[in-house]
Amino acid sequence: MLKIDRKVENGTAVIAPEGRLDTVTAPEMEAAVRDILPEITELILDFGKLEYISSAGLRVLLSSQKAMNGRGTMKVRNVNETIGEVFEITGFSDILNIE
Amino acid sequence: MENQNRGGVPVVRLSGRIDSGNAAETEQAVFARLAGTGATGADLDACDLDYISSAGLRMILRLKKNYPDLRILNVKPEVYEVFDMTGFAEMMPVEKAYRVVSVEGCEVIGEGFNGKVYRIDSDNVVKVYKNSNALPEIQHEREVARLALVLGVPTAISYDVVRVGDSYGSVFELLNSRSFAKLLANEPDRYGFCVDEYVKMLKKIHSIRVPEGRLPSKKEKMLKIVDSVKDLIPGGLGDKLAEMTSRIPDSDRMIHGDFHTKNIVLAGDEVLTIDMDTLSVGHPILELVHMYNAYIGYYENDRDAVLAFQGYGPDIADRFWHDSLAAYLGTSDEARMREIEDKVRCLSYAYLIDWGRRHFPDDAKSAQTIGVWMSGLVEVLGRVDSLDFDTEPDTAPDPNEAEFDAVAENLDAVTEFVNSRLSAAGCPARSVMQIDIAVEEVFVNIARYAYPQGRGTALVRVEIDGEPPLARITFRDRGTPYNPLEREDPDVTLSAEDREIGGLGIFMTKKISDNVSYEYRNGQNVLTLEKLL
Repeated sequence: MLKIDRKVENGTAVIAPEGRLDTVTAPEMEAAVRDILPEITELILDFGKLEYISSAGLRVLLSSQKAMNGRGTMKVRNVNETIGEVFEITGFSDILNIE
Repeated sequence: MENQNRGGVPVVRLSGRIDSGNAAETEQAVFARLAGTGATGADLDACDLDYISSAGLRMILRLKKNYPDLRILNVKPEVYEVFDMTGFAEMMPVEKAYRVVSVEGCEVIGEGFNGKVYRIDSDNVVKVYKNSNALPEIQHEREVARLALVLGVPTAISYDVVRVGDSYGSVFELLNSRSFAKLLANEPDRYGFCVDEYVKMLKKIHSIRVPEGRLPSKKEKMLKIVDSVKDLIPGGLGDKLAEMTSRIPDSDRMIHGDFHTKNIVLAGDEVLTIDMDTLSVGHPILELVHMYNAYIGYYENDRDAVLAFQGYGPDIADRFWHDSLAAYLGTSDEARMREIEDKVRCLSYAYLIDWGRRHFPDDAKSAQTIGVWMSGLVEVLGRVDSLDFDTEPDTAPDPNEAEFDAVAENLDAVTEFVNSRLSAAGCPARSVMQIDIAVEEVFVNIARYAYPQGRGTALVRVEIDGEPPLARITFRDRGTPYNPLEREDPDVTLSAEDREIGGLGIFMTKKISDNVSYEYRNGQNVLTLEKLL
């Protein structure tokens, strides 16, 4: 289950997924990012309410990061300890701008 | 109109068209023919009848009134339709003419004890009976197949009886079907699928209770066979065999009686069993006997001969028998399997010796083959004391195990199952999430790649024990053999632009778990995750 909260203002989008970002829900997250991509130069992913992420979720982060690399910046904030560990293991902590 | 007698019943042949133009004339002629015969009935042979109008039907009604045992035979399909629609087929016996079918050049798709099955076109197959006077056999097989279908066995029912040369055949609709023998011979990737579906079907059949008197008892048949060979067995072992056979518990459970890979077919994505003529009731050992013979027993003096019958060699035949027996018994304990196999072999050899003595020519090779069976029989009889075995090991579901259709949409159900076991053992939330990641990667991998040609299942087992507690999660599937752990780890130091996502899931699984192992065993991919809690 994943709930996605999104706000776009002055070229900055804040996307806050709540719940589990897994194989089943990753396509929703991917669509949410894709939809707002043309309007923005800054993407903030607020993971304060994200409980879980699997490789399918990392795939979305990677494609989002690649898309933003050409047009602005992407930040990930409020990462909990276990998700932070996943980022460490996979080297994503070096790829992503984690606040 | 031609006339003759058949078994004391006058036969009148009808031909051409019978309509208002000639009905009266025909009627007169038929009555004249039958007058004075003293018969209570007559057979109207309609093989040359092309058309019958209502005037003709009224003539038949008047005939029926005077000759109550009237039958109409050899009716062409289009004329049969008239008899059927008007209800005549229910008022009196009306038999269709047998269509003539040629099987020349047709592919043989199945073979049983009493006939061969040919594919005659893309939708239909015909089973041609060896016995030239097979109508009662055909009737029997249609009846038992119908019974089996009603009781829940997926099977094909014959819809027509035809002439094939000098024999009879029954026609079935069977779309795109391939026997498991063909799958095993040509598609090694589907070996696990075949074992799985074969055993599922076998268990399904054996779970069915048959109402009394509907099917013959296999035990009675086996007792007769044992009786006919027991005096040939040296050392008083014949009496031991007879005594053990009589002690096999009676059962009302269905058994197929010829359950091997040529008699189970994949039609579209449906698995069906065919060749139902040996359907009976009995203890499962009486089924296993014929399975053993189909893969091993018949060919014990010439192992390569299995190729001619099943289309695959002795290595696959041995492995298939072994793996399906393991799955059927729900064990991987080799000692237990050998114990059951020994019981099976007692009756297998007795059956083969009896069969060989009745069918083999009287020559040296036959004597040698029977000799091989006899020494096998003497050997196993020396160590077997009962032919019974426990047929329903654990019917209570194991709470630590659950089976799921291998589709990604089932991820939530799998996670929920695993988490319920983990939280029952007091697993901390952080470990639960890490295990969830590994479980997701493994399950989604199975869902995506294990069954490229169809559907299948994944069995998930969770065990937690030891101090400190260790969680062991095992995934079993019968899909394409594949070891995901052999995949090369991704380079996790590359920048976002250079990173590729492939392989990350399995990499995380390895990192998060304390141990991950893979093996291919008994036709199953077995992947085990271990994590200290």
